[in-house]
Amino acid sequence: MGWVTEYHPTTDELNACVQCGLCLPACPTFRLTGRETASPRGRIQAMKAVHNGILQVDQPFQGVIDFCLGCRACEPVCPGMVPYGRALEGARAEIAAQRPGFSHRARSVLLGRVIGSRGSLRAGSAALRAAQSTGATSLAPTRLRRLAAGLRPLQGRPRATVGHSGGSGESGKVALLAGCIQDEWFRPVNHAAIALLEMAGYRVEVPAGQTCCGALAAHDGKADAARALARRNMPVFTGYDQVVVTSAGCSAHVREYGHWAPAGEQVGERAVDVTVVVARAIEIGLLPRLRVGSGPIAVQDPCHLRHAQRVTAEPRSILQAGGFDVVEIDPAGMCCGAAGLYSVLQPEASTELGNRKATQIRSTGVTRVASANPGCEMQLRSALGARYEIAHPIEWYLRGVMAADESGRVAGVRTAR
Amino acid sequence: MSLVQDLRAVLGDDRVLEEPVELYLYSRDASLMQGQATCVAFPHTTAEVAAVVRVAEAHGVPIIPRGAGTGLAAGAIPIDGGIVLSTTSMNQIELDVENRTAWVGAGVINLDLTKEAEPYGLSFAPDPSSQSACTIGGNVANNSGGAHCLAEGATTSHVLGLEVVLAGGEVLVLGGQAPDMPGLDLKGLIVGSEGTLGVVTRALVRLLPIEADVRTLLLDFEELSAATRTVSDVIAAGLVPAALEIMDQKMTTAVENWLRAGLPCDCAAILLAEVVGEPEAVEAEAALVSRIGMQNGARNVQVARDEEERAMLWKGRKSAFGAVAQVSPNYYLHDTVVPRSRLVETMEEVQAIADRHGLDVYNVFHAGDGNLHPLMAFDASDPVMLEKVHRAGEEMVAACLARGGALSGEHGIGLEKRDMMRDDFTDIDLDAQARLKEAFDPSGLFNPAKVLPEGSRCFDFGGVRREIPDGAWV
Repeated sequence: MGWVTEYHPTTDELNACVQCGLCLPACPTFRLTGRETASPRGRIQAMKAVHNGILQVDQPFQGVIDFCLGCRACEPVCPGMVPYGRALEGARAEIAAQRPGFSHRARSVLLGRVIGSRGSLRAGSAALRAAQSTGATSLAPTRLRRLAAGLRPLQGRPRATVGHSGGSGESGKVALLAGCIQDEWFRPVNHAAIALLEMAGYRVEVPAGQTCCGALAAHDGKADAARALARRNMPVFTGYDQVVVTSAGCSAHVREYGHWAPAGEQVGERAVDVTVVVARAIEIGLLPRLRVGSGPIAVQDPCHLRHAQRVTAEPRSILQAGGFDVVEIDPAGMCCGAAGLYSVLQPEASTELGNRKATQIRSTGVTRVASANPGCEMQLRSALGARYEIAHPIEWYLRGVMAADESGRVAGVRTAR
Repeated sequence: MSLVQDLRAVLGDDRVLEEPVELYLYSRDASLMQGQATCVAFPHTTAEVAAVVRVAEAHGVPIIPRGAGTGLAAGAIPIDGGIVLSTTSMNQIELDVENRTAWVGAGVINLDLTKEAEPYGLSFAPDPSSQSACTIGGNVANNSGGAHCLAEGATTSHVLGLEVVLAGGEVLVLGGQAPDMPGLDLKGLIVGSEGTLGVVTRALVRLLPIEADVRTLLLDFEELSAATRTVSDVIAAGLVPAALEIMDQKMTTAVENWLRAGLPCDCAAILLAEVVGEPEAVEAEAALVSRIGMQNGARNVQVARDEEERAMLWKGRKSAFGAVAQVSPNYYLHDTVVPRSRLVETMEEVQAIADRHGLDVYNVFHAGDGNLHPLMAFDASDPVMLEKVHRAGEEMVAACLARGGALSGEHGIGLEKRDMMRDDFTDIDLDAQARLKEAFDPSGLFNPAKVLPEGSRCFDFGGVRREIPDGAWV
């Protein structure tokens, strides 16, 4: 066996693949290259070969694994139910342990300590805000410049979310995971979530002491860091009816907390993406359904919502309840190429996938886009340009509700404080 | 220069692979077999394929054409070294809507062709269960069938022309738009030849208009034989439905566990029947199928309410093999055919063989065609089990042949059934096939060791003997 850490892909995970190949066409990197080495089946078979001592964790193996987006589009099409995301995280942890280069060490610090610390995050975003307002982002290297182009303009400082508590509680008591990057650069999404959940009668708390969920670290093979972050969060989020998460990548990860520590199961089972809670609240009448025309909007499915959590109806029903005409852009739900750090580590494939998605959106003629994940939002913005307005489905919905409320078109809405 | 250097001179560095992990992955397909590739080449054009063939000849190295690698008969395994020629980059589709045909690159995915044709009201009829992944090149090589080939025929009925690269890098176009080309039917010869005569680079395929109406019925039975009898009775009544597919309880349970489509798992078998055509005819045929089912003891007849429900049923049927992975890490299945009238007794015999060896057998099959896929789920790391499965498989094939059946319905012979060819063909038959192979491929470089067993030629001059290596298991 060529593994050295406790995180390695297990026999059961790997044996679930019978090489049928039904995953191939769902995989964006296979679609880009037509290569077995860039396919889910190929990657699982490569892991199996390492598992059985036939291959080593060497540079070519790393190449095969690194090229994966981690979009998990292979999971819903797999009749053998291979837990691909799990196996991938395991293989990445092995690569990080067995092939530790400068880049891996640097990412370890970034994904473990920097984004796990509110102070570092705040300092980073203050620097970025300054760079944005002076135009200094254009001096960054190409890879980072693309990333910066995808950010929302940071104007001023919206009031803090962590520490907030409010709402009646007649519908239940929920905790909100504010997230790291989500709360620094996409805080309006968290405010929208708080407003809507309180409007729906929930007691909403954003407990202090919480930290980054650890998704980015786990996806990048920084398993120890991911576990440490999960352990910090677990006690903070215990004791709530639900743990609401506003970024699809994070909700998918928190739902799998049970894997990272036995005690994580309880939090994992109660974790839910905000789109699921809001859609349900609309469905049972806790939040209004607008009949007004808000115009067309294109909906993009984040992979960690669509593939990892099989959530597709909810963002659409939220937008429809907000009076929007939902325009589909991609029946196959192919990854936009953001994929966490992928856009920085594999810029070529990432840009190509981003451009493909942008072409699909442009061809609809719609300039408003809904995406439930910050990474996708950034990728789409940098591929589409500033003319396009991109926001989370619940932000679009809240906007519709507020506008309708002002013009008196919705009766009985408890307006958000 | 070395083989790889020569190939790189033709294709460029990044289109020839030779790292161990790359070779490992291209030494496998969806079968249980493992070969050893020398290198992998990705030509983009027919001219590049011809150039690869010339390089291979200069080095005396075999060429193994490969599409998606979804074959179950080990047809794409480089058994003893060779260039694995991947067709996936040859994926252009040129639709000719007026003539209802298309020139299609060998690497085009079957379902992508249908998706491309759908906006024009057309579709490509052959629909193997792997259609979402498998390529047209692979379909041509294996003369693939599919659930909907009952009424429409397998791939060969839908191929009008082929572009093939032959020995010496010669490019030949066979057949064409005319429905019945004069001269010998060489195109018919290439279809189903499993890459042993040359490399198919493009195919001119027939597209069919999408039927006005469709109805998909799900019948469930307390006896597998009742489902099978229903199929015989439906056809005896003069109907040729678009599809008649059976799954037994074990298979249905595995699929349902993944799909959550509400398939009935408490019955012995389900029958999926689809009728197509004009609305009135569809109505009448659906009623007839349902009546025949009830006469044979069907507990329920459900009709798919909409396209979504219909798609779900087919997704379940077409994912059946993969679903077995939930139960065991490996599976082995045989693809044999018996006359429809002997389906009931054959199924009973298959079960008896499995019982005798203490094996789990799952059944999912194209009942309308009498095409069985008895599938044994097991763990290949247990050598005793492996041997049992091997023997049971042989007995199942023998049972089918004894009932006037054939060795393969649609998956091909490949390496898997090569040595069983003698059970189905006489020496004279095999000699004729071997002469044909020799005429096309005098140096024996196109997908060697496949289909024809060693010594098929009555006066076997030998050439290079390509034995299956020790330890490999087909």
